[in-house]
Amino acid sequence: MPLLEVEDLVVEFPTRRGRLVAVDRVSFTIEAGQVLGMVGESGAGKSLTGMAIIGLLEPPGRIAGGSIRLEGRRIDDLPPEAMRRIRGRKIGAIFQDPLTSLNPLLTIGRQLEETIRTHLDLDAGAARVRAIGLLREVGIPAPERRIDAFPHELSGGMRQRVVIALALAAEPALVVADEPTTALDVSIQAQIVQLLKRLCREHGTAVLLVTHDMGVIAETADRVAVLYAGRLVELGPVEAVIRRPRHPYTQGLMGAIPRIGARKGRLVQIEGSMPRLDAIPPGCAFHPRCPHAFARCRTERPELVTTGPAHRAACWRVEAGEGS
Amino acid sequence: MTAAIRRFFDHDLWWSFSRSPLTVGAALVTLAFLLAALLAPWVAPHDPFDPASLDLLDAFTPPVWTERGDPRFLLGTDDQGRCVLSTIVWGSRISLLVGFAAVLLSAALGVALGVSAGYLGGAYEAVVMRLADVQLTIPGILVALTINGVARTLVPRELQEAAAIWVLVLAIGISDWPKYARLARGTTLVEKSKEYVAAARVIGLHPLRIMVRHLLPNVMGPVLVIGTIGLALAIISEATLSFLGVGVPPTTPSLGTLIRIGNDFLFSGEWWITLFPSLALVLLVLAVNLLGDWLRDAFNPKLR
Amino acid sequence: MSAPPLVAVEGLARRFDVSRPWLARLLTREPRRWLQAVAGVDFAIPRGTTMALVGESGCGKSTVARMLVGLLQPSAGRILFDGSPLDPRAGRKALAPVRRRMQMIFQDPYASLDPRWRVADIVAEPLDAFGLVASRAERRERVAELLRAVGLSPADGSKYPHEFSGGQRQRISIARALASRPDFLVCDEPTSALDVSVQAQILNLMKDLQERLGLTYLLISHNLAVVSLMADRVGVMYLGRIVELAPAEELFTRPRHPYTRLLLDTVPDLELRRRERVPVAGEVPSPIDPPAGCAFHPRCPWANGRCRAERPEPLPVGAARVACHAVEEGRLLA
Repeated sequence: MPLLEVEDLVVEFPTRRGRLVAVDRVSFTIEAGQVLGMVGESGAGKSLTGMAIIGLLEPPGRIAGGSIRLEGRRIDDLPPEAMRRIRGRKIGAIFQDPLTSLNPLLTIGRQLEETIRTHLDLDAGAARVRAIGLLREVGIPAPERRIDAFPHELSGGMRQRVVIALALAAEPALVVADEPTTALDVSIQAQIVQLLKRLCREHGTAVLLVTHDMGVIAETADRVAVLYAGRLVELGPVEAVIRRPRHPYTQGLMGAIPRIGARKGRLVQIEGSMPRLDAIPPGCAFHPRCPHAFARCRTERPELVTTGPAHRAACWRVEAGEGS
Repeated sequence: MTAAIRRFFDHDLWWSFSRSPLTVGAALVTLAFLLAALLAPWVAPHDPFDPASLDLLDAFTPPVWTERGDPRFLLGTDDQGRCVLSTIVWGSRISLLVGFAAVLLSAALGVALGVSAGYLGGAYEAVVMRLADVQLTIPGILVALTINGVARTLVPRELQEAAAIWVLVLAIGISDWPKYARLARGTTLVEKSKEYVAAARVIGLHPLRIMVRHLLPNVMGPVLVIGTIGLALAIISEATLSFLGVGVPPTTPSLGTLIRIGNDFLFSGEWWITLFPSLALVLLVLAVNLLGDWLRDAFNPKLR
Repeated sequence: MSAPPLVAVEGLARRFDVSRPWLARLLTREPRRWLQAVAGVDFAIPRGTTMALVGESGCGKSTVARMLVGLLQPSAGRILFDGSPLDPRAGRKALAPVRRRMQMIFQDPYASLDPRWRVADIVAEPLDAFGLVASRAERRERVAELLRAVGLSPADGSKYPHEFSGGQRQRISIARALASRPDFLVCDEPTSALDVSVQAQILNLMKDLQERLGLTYLLISHNLAVVSLMADRVGVMYLGRIVELAPAEELFTRPRHPYTRLLLDTVPDLELRRRERVPVAGEVPSPIDPPAGCAFHPRCPWANGRCRAERPEPLPVGAARVACHAVEEGRLLA
């Protein structure tokens, strides 16, 4: 049984002009200890998927269909109080901006100890020992002294390390990390990615890594899910998706990323931009930008079909066995 | 043109407006006051300023639904036999005129000083903003009273009646500018740091042109909101000054003057002379205020 | 690289006053505090080429860009444009002919266009400012031509910025920047706010325009892959100084300065080699109180006593110019 099972998840926003479907029948699973990278452009629905899983969708956004199961138990229809207990204990969260994820008025030690004692049966002394241990584990120098520091006394990279320590404090089975490196400088990004990778391997924690950066996915993830206009268009092992992308969108995306050394060439260009939620075209949402679109793409939405070992893509052309 | 109209009714602002019955009501009341004020010579049943039409025998007629009521005077008459409804219509005209003019003056003054202070910075900014701070420590009505007093001594006696309204506008307008200056400066500081202002500086535009063509239009949104609420306050300030007897003269009464005149008869039983102008004032100020509140919420999506 | 430089800077420096207010300073007896954002920066950009400045936030690369286009006054040093020095204290009128020839593209396409203006007026603003069009018809014609050049339709001119996506807005910014037929474009993180597929469109457009119009670019970026694609020469900045300046080819194949090596090592690897890196510890120190000697020494694995005491000067190494004692002494194999 997979650790996390998301089936036909639909997230929608009721507006005065009708319902905007931001996540449209997305299904995937994450095994224990596995890192699933979820990649897509802004507005593709990747962050909303993560928020739906940790039960923190901002109203009026809501789950309008499908199910989310953690260790076999449904968590998408839990009352807020029960969900709050699962969050932290079973699911940890890391957000983009480390400054807003921490309470500026409490020392990092207080925040860590509070989280530890809420979820684990430890007394104050033991909680503090564990907090210092966690800080040491996330690479904060002199944790015995830093534990009494306030968030503003730390640099951005150090703060993100504290956020990671908080997310792992109760030994959750799953961590949802939403753009954990985007707000950081490049040299710090690499440190944080390495840290996340190492910790999750050591603790056997599964990770849903939401990012727009294919580079971070390539460095960290075991499997990749590619989202486009709220739909899952490709899902597979990281090597397969990066080396042999099957969906035309993923192919375009891989070609559009500049690489060091590939000098003076032109980048592959996907014309146009992702449709707005109120103007998603019928059929395959990607067809207006797709160089290979044919009649069926304009009318019928493709479902994920298997294209290789554990590798699936939602494309009529792939289903017809053409293209590679 | 039809496209523009369709766009207007399709706009989020119109949508949020049409979904709030309180706001629609407030807008209708405000509109009714504006129309009555504009069209006073045609909609008022009597001309309260035509001495020929006045008859002292009609004085102190109570409202029409009371025992001694006269069908000619819906809300009764005052001590000089003037129709109270007509004086309210004409009084609203004066109140709204003073209110609008005062808001225009204080907004123009405040925005000009605030935008320039925010954009130019330095010692100029320090002087302007400290001046605003100092004035804010003194109650607005006190400032208006002082300016009113000083202006009156400067105006020749024979012009005083005619100039009274404009003296009032000046007094209220000047007493209220710091609010607009602070808002305009704050908004300017935000807008100034945006790259479109840098883009204008890169092509070497004159600072004045940047302020007028780029900053001003982007500062006007919040100013409009504060201005609407400011209109209600200006109308109250005018009423207060007129009630204190330093506003417009009784010959061209505003709502405040009417309330003061009526106040004299409150204890002799002629309650309608002061009650109806007061109700009109409350209704007008409340309606304008509700409109302002809605505008503020509609422009600030965080509160929606 | 035999073409004479279009733009050159010599000893360019800029410091900011970050002191507390006068009264607070008097009460706490605190001295004035300065932030040295840029110090002693030299480079030259040959006509028709792209020079890139890379570095992390706070390294001073954007400050250099802003000084070049006249948004900030240098504290020291000079800027030469087409052979003649720019006098930043000259009047608005005197500077206009130079300003017409240099333009800037900004990072945030949501803030760089005045939301109250129509696109046609935004694009035409430089035309009006420099008096480049004689009639309304000519203005309309030129705006249409500019919008077409960046891949938009002339009909888009009557719309407002909020009706466009981020990528389209950046195209509008480029159209505006091209309006006065400049020779030199300063591009400050032009794609860092855009999605990858849109970034590719904008980078391709910038390359096409450079080829077609013979433009000279100064590209400010933190993204080494973007720099590698676009630049002919690259300057790596750290705490206000250029630590390595080299032809792009050379910099990416043989990085010399330890900081350049660190930066290159942090680029995520799409080739899935999954090397276990030795992430360099530490973060960028505060520019208000930079370390003595070489500013990079606290994070540098090769630092010794000399690095902690004496600031290295940029010295030629091959085709590059590197400011590093370890490279100079041969402690670090170049």
